[in-house]
Amino acid sequence: MTKRSLKTSAAAVAAVAALSFSLAACGSSDDDASEPAGSTTPTTSATADLDLVSDGKLTVCSDIPYPPFEKFDKSTPSGVAGFDIDMVQYAADKLGLGLEVLDEEFDGLQSGLTLNAGTCDVVASAMTITDEREKNLDFTQGYYNAAQSLLVPDDSDIASIDDLAGKKVGVQKGTTGEDYAEANAPDADIQVLKDDPSLFLALQAGQIDAILQDYPVNAEHEADGGYKVVETYDTGEHYGLAVKSGNTALLDALNDSIDAMKADGTYDTSYEKWFGTKPPAE
Amino acid sequence: MKRSTQRRLRQGGLYAVLLGVILYLAFSVDWENVRNSFWAEGLSGNWHDLIVVGVRHTVIYTLIAFSCGLVLALLLALMKLSPAFAYRWIATAYIELFRGLPALVTIIFMAFAVPIAFHWRPPGGGAGAGVVGLILVAGAYMAETIRAGIQAVPTGQVEAAHSLGMNGFHTMTAVVIPQAFRIVIPPLTNELVALIKDTSLLSVAGVALGGGELTTVTQNFMTDGPTAGTGTSLTQAALLYLVITLPLTQLVAWLERRQRRAR
Repeated sequence: MTKRSLKTSAAAVAAVAALSFSLAACGSSDDDASEPAGSTTPTTSATADLDLVSDGKLTVCSDIPYPPFEKFDKSTPSGVAGFDIDMVQYAADKLGLGLEVLDEEFDGLQSGLTLNAGTCDVVASAMTITDEREKNLDFTQGYYNAAQSLLVPDDSDIASIDDLAGKKVGVQKGTTGEDYAEANAPDADIQVLKDDPSLFLALQAGQIDAILQDYPVNAEHEADGGYKVVETYDTGEHYGLAVKSGNTALLDALNDSIDAMKADGTYDTSYEKWFGTKPPAE
Repeated sequence: MKRSTQRRLRQGGLYAVLLGVILYLAFSVDWENVRNSFWAEGLSGNWHDLIVVGVRHTVIYTLIAFSCGLVLALLLALMKLSPAFAYRWIATAYIELFRGLPALVTIIFMAFAVPIAFHWRPPGGGAGAGVVGLILVAGAYMAETIRAGIQAVPTGQVEAAHSLGMNGFHTMTAVVIPQAFRIVIPPLTNELVALIKDTSLLSVAGVALGGGELTTVTQNFMTDGPTAGTGTSLTQAALLYLVITLPLTQLVAWLERRQRRAR
């Protein structure tokens, strides 16, 4: 073999070695993530069995913005503020963990896809507890009693859900609002959009005539002016935090945290801060 | 050592590297997990809606955007070759603008910003507005292709047409454009393939129930139906997209081969 080809093959060997090293590096970091947190790095005994996606912090997924439950706010440590964020911040503090909040599409959150992919530990995204969703993820106890509502422009002649026949009503993809509209406004032209900002933009643009979604969010638009909530529907829905199916340790920790938050008054304070009223008596 | 032996050795080395990488990847994949998440049981229940609703609307939206975009593109290409300065300038500005913007931004713009600004809505609701956005983008891309095609027709053709007594308009429509289109059919087919994939952006403008294109239907099946909570419908959609696009890209390859022979 000549000198030249020796050099080329040496380069090839080096390249293969580098490649397999980098592949091995990818592989091993994945392994770390999937193993229980406590087995690789020393953490406090309280969080060792929580099976967190990254050590030392609670990673939370949310579809932001959805005020007053979650909105971007640079002044907070996680960069997000809202009622949901207060719930998970309390839990993180109680467990001695940091908090990281990721912005994800709601559809992936409610289907358990995001949790199954190991993107985050907890979903806190104004998510209603339903049997359908419970098949693919585990819910905590409810922490907010949500009603559905219908938002229209001030000058609209839509006064109730019965006036929606032939009108375009906007709903958010994958939500209980979508289900409610399908069941109760069969003659309406239902338009599915991806999140609340898109819905509100579509309403402003006249692409839709009304928005059917959770009351607190519509109430926020009403407060901004130009739009009014004409009806609310008490559907007995409760929001819950969600974890990956089978992660009972984390689920128990979150349930304890909600109990503790209600017991020490933090829950009431936060509720008043975001909704302007005291929480309804249970 | 003979030169051919050296070459064979070097090639053997390359194949060994390739085989090594493939084997490594194959063994490092968690196949059990992949099957549960991306080829879950019950997936046969998804095909009907994926095809009857998803593929159908994808094809409809693509065909509308492509045919309208083609007309727009031809107009823009002729404007860009116009002797009048203002026409050239307008066409250039339009093409640069819509080639420079992401299709997603253009779709959102048509669906939300234009109605707010002009109190005028493109027909067909959110999807209609989105398709108008796609037409604008496709028109810009195809205009450049068609312009290049027109310029690739040899000047001798124009001169010959003139010497036969044809006027400028007649020369363009009967001699130049037909030949230009023969040249640009392969790149235009590529644009068609790109459009098929761009229809997946339409859902940002809002989708009527039962009016979703393939990606929207796929996302519904990630959360609803027999394979909810898994990405199985994504795998199915990927296969369906390939079923549509692969014949087209093969057609382009065949056309290009045929063209090369004809020259």
